[in-house]
Amino acid sequence: MTTAIKIDGLTKKYKDVTAVDGLNLEIYEGELFSLLGVNGAGKTTTIKMLSTLVKPTSGDAVIFDYSILHDEEKIKEIIDISMQETAVARKLTVEENMEFYGRLSGQSKVELNETKKAIYEAFGFEKIAKKQASKLSGGWQRKLSIALALISKPKILFLDEPTLGLDVIARRELWKTINQLKGKMTIILTTHYMEEAEALADRIGIMKDGRLLFVGTKEELFGKTGKTNVEDSFIEIVSGGQPL
Amino acid sequence: MKKSLSRIFILTERDFKEILRDPLSLIFTIGMPLFMEILFYLIFHELTDQFEMKYLAPGIVVFAQSFIALFVGLLIAIDRSTSFLTRLYVSNAKSYEFIFSYALSMIPIIFVQSLLFFLVGGIIDSSIFSINMISAIFVSLVSSLLFIGLGILLGSLCNEKSIGGISSIVIAGQSVLSGMWFPIEGLSEGMITFMNILPFRNATKLVENTMNGINDVYKDFLIPLIIVLAYAIVSFVLAIVAFKRKMKSD
Repeated sequence: MTTAIKIDGLTKKYKDVTAVDGLNLEIYEGELFSLLGVNGAGKTTTIKMLSTLVKPTSGDAVIFDYSILHDEEKIKEIIDISMQETAVARKLTVEENMEFYGRLSGQSKVELNETKKAIYEAFGFEKIAKKQASKLSGGWQRKLSIALALISKPKILFLDEPTLGLDVIARRELWKTINQLKGKMTIILTTHYMEEAEALADRIGIMKDGRLLFVGTKEELFGKTGKTNVEDSFIEIVSGGQPL
Repeated sequence: MKKSLSRIFILTERDFKEILRDPLSLIFTIGMPLFMEILFYLIFHELTDQFEMKYLAPGIVVFAQSFIALFVGLLIAIDRSTSFLTRLYVSNAKSYEFIFSYALSMIPIIFVQSLLFFLVGGIIDSSIFSINMISAIFVSLVSSLLFIGLGILLGSLCNEKSIGGISSIVIAGQSVLSGMWFPIEGLSEGMITFMNILPFRNATKLVENTMNGINDVYKDFLIPLIIVLAYAIVSFVLAIVAFKRKMKSD
């Protein structure tokens, strides 16, 4: 297995608070790796450091031979991110949003048309292509937000809490879309929905207070905790086996 | 450099569409000032010189520009609150490219404002038509830099909810401290000095003097120009610093 991301002692401190504390982790090419943790565990800060939006206090991470400390521009060419909040140009139509992001990523017209066609098919955007983003439902807006992260054809895709605030139907639809992306790129997905990690992830990392407490497959997680689902296993790991 | 210019152009196009598709921005930057220009002329021009079209039109042009501060600020505040800008940072776009794009996207709107308010003014009172009007339209682009700079600064500092209230200070400042709605001769010397130090009256004087003829280049043109440009430059520098800082903290 080729290593896509190698994280070495990654730490982020904000004044007295250590958001991420000496993170060591390897993520393999083509896998969907899910970072689990309660609010404030350090998931988003980790993603922000890996996507070069935030400078680490110490440590480094290498993404396909590029260091997040020294090769910011190169890394930005191979990654994309979909943030917790829906990040679309609200007054532009779905099609205009796609063209806007595609042109920003430097694609030619022909290349962009091909990418758009593939994304339209995968996400079912044909019927909403001419609609303004602000007039779409929350689920469609989030889909669009994720689709826009695919326009640049990233090798690494960061999905930060992609289904946060969505209803159960919209969430399941989004899972289906994310499942379609598996294997085509390396995906790092943060979530605090346990069933989401269980449904989508190849491997799971559990964070608490900025530290990584567990890394492995679901089966390894169940084996370690003696539980039969991710939620119970997560609670077992995070609470240190103490009853809640 | 080529990539950067291309990104600025793409971002500018998007910013322009966002502003243009917001009906409120069109009402406040064009509709309402135009209505005020016609209404105030009809009601007051026979009562006081202040509302003769040669004073009213340049005043309205600059007053309408103060709303630009609100709408450019609002656009930035919304972009920040929705993580739109954070995400664009991952696409290699730089802070200065964002700032340039926000500023450039306002220029067509400002140009339309000036052209429209002067033309309508000229239709109502044809005596104001002169070659100076063309100069005044271009000079008004300079005065608009002040409001664009203030808008970007406020948009970088405020959130979506507070930007309306805070930027209304700029609009109120332009309205009250420009002296466009009332004769300032009756005011105290201290107040007049205060108004002359601030950019609002100078912005109005700059456009007004350009249109009505410059007698003393230094007093009528250069001094207001320097004051307006100084405030505009300071606003832009502070805006870039605030924008960069906020982007990191957001």
